[in-house]
Amino acid sequence: MKNLFLLTLLCLLSTSLYAQNPGSPTRFTLQGRAVDTSAAPLPSSTVMLLSPKDSSMVNFTRATDKGAFTFKNLRPGTYLLKISFVGYIPFNQMVKTESNSVIDLGDLKMKPITKELFEVVVKTARAPLTIKGDTIEYNAASFKVPPGSTVEDLLRKLPGVQVDQDGNIRAQGQEVKKVTVDGKSFFGNDPKLATKNLQADAITKVQVYNDKTEQAKLTGVEDGKKEKTVNLELKEEFKKGGFGKITAGVGPASNDIAPRAEIKGNYNKFNSKQQFSLVGLGNNTNQQGISWNDYQDFRGSNSFNWNDNADFGFSSGNRFISFGDDEETLGIPVNGGSGRGFSNNAAGGANYNYDTKKTKLSTSYYYNQTRLELNSLRNRKNFLESGSFRTEENSNQINFNGNHRVSIRFEKQLDSLNTLVFLNNSRLGSGNSNVGTRQDLLRIASLTETLSTRNTTNNLSNTNQFGSANSLIYRLKFKKKGRSFAASATYQINTNDGDLALRARNEFFQATNINDQLRIIRQDQNTNSLRNEYRASLLYIEPFAKKFFWESFYNFSLRYDEVDRNVLNVGEVGGGTRNDSLSRYYKNNYTFNRLGSSIRYSYKGLNLSAGAAGQQFTLDGQYASDQTSRTFNTINRTFTTLIPNVSLNYDMKNNRYLYGGYDVNVRIPSSRDIQPIINNTNPLFINEGNPTLLPQLGHNMNAGFSYFNPASFTNLFVNLYGTYYVNQIVYSQSVDPQTLITTTRPENLQGGKNLGSYMSFGFPLKKTKATLNLNTQLNFGNNPTNINGIRNETNNENYTLGARLELTPTDWLTFYGNASIGRTNTRYSINSGQNQSIVNNTYNGDLTLKLPGGIYANTTMNYRVYQNDRFGFDQRIPIWNASVYRIVGKAKKAEIRLSGVDMLNRNLNVSQYAGQNYVQEERIQTLARYFMLSFTYNMRGVQAKMRRDGGY
Amino acid sequence: MFNETLKQKHMKPYLIGLFLLLSTASWAQNTEGVITYERKTYWTKLITRLTYLSQEQKDRAAQTWKNDDESKEKMTLTFTENESLYTYAGQGETEDGRYSWRNSELVLYRNFAKDQKIDLIEMLGKTYIVEDSLRTPTWKIGNQIKDIAGYVCMKAETEDPIKKQKITAWFAQDIPVSAGPERYNGLPGAILELSLNDDVVIEATKVTLKKVTPEELKLPKMKGKKINDAAYDTLIKQHIAESMTAHRNPYWALRY
Repeated sequence: MKNLFLLTLLCLLSTSLYAQNPGSPTRFTLQGRAVDTSAAPLPSSTVMLLSPKDSSMVNFTRATDKGAFTFKNLRPGTYLLKISFVGYIPFNQMVKTESNSVIDLGDLKMKPITKELFEVVVKTARAPLTIKGDTIEYNAASFKVPPGSTVEDLLRKLPGVQVDQDGNIRAQGQEVKKVTVDGKSFFGNDPKLATKNLQADAITKVQVYNDKTEQAKLTGVEDGKKEKTVNLELKEEFKKGGFGKITAGVGPASNDIAPRAEIKGNYNKFNSKQQFSLVGLGNNTNQQGISWNDYQDFRGSNSFNWNDNADFGFSSGNRFISFGDDEETLGIPVNGGSGRGFSNNAAGGANYNYDTKKTKLSTSYYYNQTRLELNSLRNRKNFLESGSFRTEENSNQINFNGNHRVSIRFEKQLDSLNTLVFLNNSRLGSGNSNVGTRQDLLRIASLTETLSTRNTTNNLSNTNQFGSANSLIYRLKFKKKGRSFAASATYQINTNDGDLALRARNEFFQATNINDQLRIIRQDQNTNSLRNEYRASLLYIEPFAKKFFWESFYNFSLRYDEVDRNVLNVGEVGGGTRNDSLSRYYKNNYTFNRLGSSIRYSYKGLNLSAGAAGQQFTLDGQYASDQTSRTFNTINRTFTTLIPNVSLNYDMKNNRYLYGGYDVNVRIPSSRDIQPIINNTNPLFINEGNPTLLPQLGHNMNAGFSYFNPASFTNLFVNLYGTYYVNQIVYSQSVDPQTLITTTRPENLQGGKNLGSYMSFGFPLKKTKATLNLNTQLNFGNNPTNINGIRNETNNENYTLGARLELTPTDWLTFYGNASIGRTNTRYSINSGQNQSIVNNTYNGDLTLKLPGGIYANTTMNYRVYQNDRFGFDQRIPIWNASVYRIVGKAKKAEIRLSGVDMLNRNLNVSQYAGQNYVQEERIQTLARYFMLSFTYNMRGVQAKMRRDGGY
Repeated sequence: MFNETLKQKHMKPYLIGLFLLLSTASWAQNTEGVITYERKTYWTKLITRLTYLSQEQKDRAAQTWKNDDESKEKMTLTFTENESLYTYAGQGETEDGRYSWRNSELVLYRNFAKDQKIDLIEMLGKTYIVEDSLRTPTWKIGNQIKDIAGYVCMKAETEDPIKKQKITAWFAQDIPVSAGPERYNGLPGAILELSLNDDVVIEATKVTLKKVTPEELKLPKMKGKKINDAAYDTLIKQHIAESMTAHRNPYWALRY
C-alpha cells in the first residue's frame, strides 16, 4: 500500500522532472541499502537525492523493509545522497555518474545517535536543538537560568552535559578540553575561565563538537577519539539598540513679538527585555505637550494598557461610573494646549520598562510647566424671559502651572492561571495666576443699550494639588476555558489647597440707593479640600452551553470629601474679619454599590450581550460655616436605579460590520457642583453648589454599519447615536434684575436629549492616485435650563457637509484637501426673537512637492469662515503655513528646515458659541506670523513623507 | 492512543531496539490522521516588510507592542496517503472564547494521486476557488533536526517569489505523506512546522494518527470565482504592489 503511494508520488515527481528535459539520452539507476553499524537493515528510511550545489531536493523515496532503495532513470550528474532515520545521525554521501548505468552503493552504515543525544532530542521537546553532522547545537534561550547566572549554570541545564563541583565539564560522557567564544579561544586554554566568567544571558547558542572533525560536518561522523569542544556563540547585536532625535529651531523677532525658539528631543535605549528613554521639550511656540509619536517612543510597551481598568462592569460598556470633571489628569499630557494666547513651555521625563513573559515593570517620571499669557475680548448676549443684556469683557491673565507626574505599573504572572497587576499614577502640581478683568454689562431695551454695571477685578491665586491613584488587580483563569474571576482594590487621594486674593470694584449705575452704587470686595479666600476614595470590584465569568457566557460583577465605592473654606474680608490696610456667609466647612460620604449580571452570546462573529445592574448611591453629608460650629446641616440622600445594557457586534462576510448598543451612563456630581460653597471669583457671575444634587443618568443608544473593500479601496461608514437624560445636571441661572449679577446653581432637570448621525463614503477616483471621501454629520439637541425660575428650552440643529480629496498622482507631488460646511440653527423657547443661525465653514489644503536636489516643499492653507447674521458677525481667517526642507548628509540622518507660520499674519483665536440662553463670541490674541529655521538630527534617519500612511 | 505509546518508546532510549522492530509495523498506519497547528502571527515583525514605513515607525511599533505582538489561531490538517484538507480548527475567537469573529473562508484541498488542488480562499473582499495541478516548490534540505509534537523533524527551505518570503519547513520522517499546512506540500514527510519569514509560524501542537473517513476530507459547498494558480498569483501580486503604493498594509485583506 505504502509502496504504491510512494511509487505514484515518485512517478509524478520524476515525470515532471523529466518532462522538461526530453533530450537527455542516457539514464542511470542508483541503489543501495541503509543499515546500522551492525549491518541490520533500517527499514523505511527516508532517502533523498539533493543537488550538491544548493541542497535542493531532486527526488526522494522510502527504503523497503530490508532497507533497500532504488532511484531509476536519473539524469547523469553529481548528486548528494541523504538518508535519514529516526534515532540515527543523517547520512550524507556524494554520488557521481560513472560509465555504469547502475550504481550500487551497497550497505550504507548509519551511526546511531547516542543515548544522551537521543534524550536531548526528545526530552527538550520544543527546544530547538540541531544536529549538524556530529555538532550538537543548543539554543540557549530554551534553557531557563535565573538572571545573573554564568555560562556554567547554563551548561548544567543542558541535557547530555555535566558540570562537576570544580567546574569541569563533560559532554556526552567525554571531558571537554576547550571552550571557545564565537570560535575563538577565550583567555588561554582553561575551559573554566570562559564558563565561570561569562554571563549566560550574553549567549545565544552553545555548540558541542569534536574538534578534529569540525571541517567534515556534512559528511558525517568519523571513528576514533576526538577532543570535545564547546563553542559559545554571543548574542547578535541587533537585539540591542539605541535611537533618538533632536530638533532645534530659532526665529527672529518680528511683528512686535519676541524671538521664537524651540527645542525637543528624545533618546531611547533598549534590548529585548529593557527599554530606557528620555524625552524633553522647551519652546515659546505654544507647543505644550509631546506628540503621540514621541509619547509612544517614550513609554514604549507601556504606551497603552487596555486591560488596566480596575472597575469591572458590562463587557461592552465603558467605566461604570464617572465623577463629573473631578478626575485629575494623572497621565502624561499629549499634544495639549489650545494653541491660544502666548505660552512658554518646558517638559521632560524619563521612563524605564522591563518586559518578560512573566514580569513586566514600567516606571516613569515626567515634569511639565507652562506659562500662559492670555488676553481676550468676550462679547456675550444673555436672553431673559423679558429682554436681554450684553456683556463686554476684557481680560488679561498670566497663568503658571507646573506638574510632576510619577507612574508605576507592575504585572506579575504568578503562574499560568494567576496574574497580579499593580498600578500607581500620581501627580503633584502647583500653579498661580494673575487675572485682571473689566466687564461692562449693558441692558438692551428697544435697540438702545444702557450701561448698567461695571466691574474691575484683579485676582491673584495660588494652588497646590496632589493626586494619586493606586490599584491592585488580581485575575484568575480556570482550567475550564472561558471561566474566570477577577478582583480589584483601588485607593485614590486628591488634595487641593488654594489661596485667592480677590480685589473687585463693582459699580451699579442704575442703583437708586446711593449705598448700592458701589460695592468693593476685598477678600482673602483659603480653601483646603481632601478627597479619599476606596473602591473594590469583583467579576466572575462562567461559560455555559458552548456559545454562552454568564458574567456577573459587583462594585463598591466609598468617597469621603472634606472641605474647609475660610473667607476673610480684609481692609485697606490689612487685618480682616471672617465672612460667615462664604466660609464653609463640610464633610461628605458618598457610598456607591452596584451589582450586575449579563448573558453574552458569541459565535462566529456574532456577539450579543444583554444584562442589567442595580445600583444604589447614598450621600451622607454635613456642613456648617465653620469647623467649630455647634450646629451642622445634614444631607442624607439615597438614589437607587436599575440600568439595562445591550450590545451587538456582528462581523459579516466581505468586511461588513454591524454594531449597536444601549447603555446607561451614570454621572455623579462633581465636588464643585455638590459643595455648598459660593464662588465669587467673578463677582458678576457667581457659582453656587447644590448639596442635594442627584446623579445624572444618560440613556445612550448607538448603531452603526461599516463596509470596506480592500481590493477597490472603497469604504462606507454609518453611525447613529442618541442620548436621553434623566436628572440632567444643568446650571440654572438667576439674574438680579437690578444689578444684572448672574448666579448659577446646578439642578437636576428632565427632558434633555441629543440625536446625531455621521455618514462617510470613500472611494478611489483613480486607484492609488486620487481618492474622494464624502461625509455628513447631523446633530439635534434639546437642552433645558431654568432662567429666573422659568424653564427655557434651547433647540440646536446642526448640519455639516464635508468632502476630502487625496491626490497622489506622482512621487513628487501630493495634495490633501478638505472642505466642511456647517450651519447651526438655535431656537430659544423663552425668547424666540433671539433665534439665530450660525455658519462655521472650514477649508484645508496641504501640498507637498519633491524638488530637485533633495529639497522638499510643503505648504498648508487653512481658511475658516464664521458668520452670524443676527450679530452682523462675519469673520474670515486664512492661515497660511509653508516650509522648505532638505535632508542632508550621506546617511540621511539630518534635516534643515525653514518654516513660515501664519505668513498672512491673521491668526486670531476666534470662537462663537450659542449656549443655553446666551450667544458668545470670543477673540483671543494669539501667536501669529513667525519664521523659524530648524535643524533635526535623527539617529534612525530622516524620511521625507510625501504620502500619508493608510495604516499598518 | 497509539501515538502515546510511540512517544513513550522515544523517551526510553534503551527501548530503541524494540522500537525498531515495531516501527515497520507502525509505519503503515502513520499515513492517516489529523494534525492540529497553532498559527502565530508576529505583527511587529510583519510590518517591517512594509516598504513605505520608516525605520523610526517600525522601531516605534516594535517597542510599543512588545508584549502584545502575536496573534494566534488554530488550524487543522486532515490527511491520508493521497489527500489532505487544511482549514480552521473551530471559530476565530479570543483566548478565553468570550469574543468571536468571522474567519475568512479558507479550505485547502490536495490530491497527490490525481495531482490536483482545490483552494477555497476569501481574500481581497471576495471568495475565490483556485483549481490547478499541484505545484511543488524547490525544497532545499538541511541537516538540522528538531523535535516537534513528539516527532523528529528535518529542515527544508524554499522561497515565495511573489510575497518575497523565506519559507522554512520542518517535516516528520515518521509521517510519510506529502501534506503540509497553508499552501505548502511535497516533502518526504508531513510538514509539522512552517515558518513564513519568521513573521508567521505555523507549528503542530498535536498529531493524531487515526483512520480518516472520506467525510472528513470532503470539500464544503463552494461558491466563488474560479481561477487558476497563474490568476491567483497575478491578483495578489497586484494587490501587494497597489497597497504598498497607497501606503496600506496589504495583509489586512490577504493571508500572509
